[in-house]
Amino acid sequence: MSLRVYAPDGAMGKPPVHRATSPAVLTNLRIGVLDNAKPNARALMVRTAEQIAARTGARLVLVTDKGPGGNAATPCTPGVFDQLGEEVDLVLTGSAD
Amino acid sequence: MADKGELLEIVDASPEAVMDYFDDRGWGDGLPLVPPTVERVEAMLAACGGADPDEVLSVLPPRFGECTRRMVAINAVLAGCRPDVMPVLVTAARALGHPELNLRGVNATTHPVAPLLIVHGDIATSAGYNSGLGAFGPGNRANATTGRAVRFLLLHVAGARPGPGDASTQGQPAKYSYCVAENTAASPWESYPRSVGVDAPSAITLHCGENPHNFHDMEADHPGPILEKAASVMATLGVNNAPIGQGEYFVGLGPEHAATIASHNWTRRDVQSYLYERARLPAGLYRKQFGSLAWFPWMHEVPDDHLMPATGHPDHFKIFVVGGAGKHSCVVPSWGMTKSVTLAVAP
Repeated sequence: MSLRVYAPDGAMGKPPVHRATSPAVLTNLRIGVLDNAKPNARALMVRTAEQIAARTGARLVLVTDKGPGGNAATPCTPGVFDQLGEEVDLVLTGSAD
Repeated sequence: MADKGELLEIVDASPEAVMDYFDDRGWGDGLPLVPPTVERVEAMLAACGGADPDEVLSVLPPRFGECTRRMVAINAVLAGCRPDVMPVLVTAARALGHPELNLRGVNATTHPVAPLLIVHGDIATSAGYNSGLGAFGPGNRANATTGRAVRFLLLHVAGARPGPGDASTQGQPAKYSYCVAENTAASPWESYPRSVGVDAPSAITLHCGENPHNFHDMEADHPGPILEKAASVMATLGVNNAPIGQGEYFVGLGPEHAATIASHNWTRRDVQSYLYERARLPAGLYRKQFGSLAWFPWMHEVPDDHLMPATGHPDHFKIFVVGGAGKHSCVVPSWGMTKSVTLAVAP
C-alpha cells in the first residue's frame, strides 16, 4: 500500500540580503579587514589580506572591528558598515573558531 | 503567499519504509516518524480556528524557509503531536523569527544552543503539558512532541542540519526536544509572562540556551543559601556567557525552593537583584582567561579586582517555577548573543 505525505521543508523565502558578486580582478582594488573578535581573527585576516595584496596588486587599506560591543554573532555598527562601503572594494569579514 | 506544500508518494507505507524514505532525504531526527498525510495535516490545521494555513509566520535562516501554519502542521504530525498543541507551535514559529532571538546566530554557532520552549497559562493545562515532577522529561507527550516539532522546524524549514546548517561542535540532547511548562499553580509570584509585560491567558517563551544546569540545596530555610548555589552555577568560566557578559540566565526554581524564598517575602525582583550581586567573578580573572570579551563598554573600565556580574543587568535573570517535590532547581544559561521572546499564544 502506498502513502501520500507532505514534504516537511516547504518553500524558500528571500534572504534579507544578498552577497555581492566577487570582483574578477583584484589589481588596484582596496582590501578591508573586518575583525569579528574571534580569537586570532585579526592576525589571520590581516596576514591573508597581505598575501592577497602581494599576489594581485591590491592594497590593504583598512582594518577595523565591528564597533562597541560587536562580536562574531552581531552585525557591525552602521558607521563601520558605511566606512567599509566608502573606503574599500572587498572585505574579509571574519573567521570562525 | 507560500506554496501549498509538496505532496510525495511513498510506495511502501510500512513504518520502516517511511522512516527510510525521510532519512534518505535528510529529514527527521533519527527517531521514528508519524507520516504527515493530508488527513493528519488537515486535522492539525483545524486546530488553528480557520486561520490562513499558508500565511508566512516567519522566514527561518540559514535556509530562509518560509514557516507557515501548514509547515508547522506537517512537522507537528511528524513529531507525534496532538492537534491541541498547534497554537503553541504556531506562536513558537512566530517567536523564532523575532530578530532579537538571533536564529541565524543560534544555528551558525559552534555552541550547543537549543531553543527551550516554556508554555505558560491555560493552554499548558488544556493541552496536557507537564509543569510538575519530571517536567524536563521523559514521559509527557505534549512536552516531548512539542519540543520535537520545534526542532523539526529548525531541521526542515530553517535547514539547520548538523554540518551545513548547524555548526554545533558536539550537539546536545536538548536539540532533540526541549519543552516544559511553567508551574504557575506552585509559583508564589505572578506568572512569568506577566512579569515581562505579556498579559494573556496563554503564552510561550523561547529561550535559546544550554542544557539545564542543576543545583540543589536540601537544608536551607532562607533564600540566601539556595540562591548562592544558583549564583555559583552561573559565575563559572565555562559557560558561553562568561566572555560575553550580556547573556540571559533562566532560573527554573523547583516549587520547594520557590516557597522557601517567598516565605521570607522575597519578590521575583529581589531574587534577580540578589543573583546580580552574587553571581560574580573578578574582572581580572575574565581578562586572564579570555583574549576577546564582548562586554558592555562600562565593563572594560573597571579594575581587575572588581567583582564583575555574570551578566550586565538584573533583568537578565529570568525567574520561573517548574518541577515537583524535591530540593532541586536549575539554571539554563543562554548562548549569549540572543534574547528570549515571550508572546501571547495565538493560532
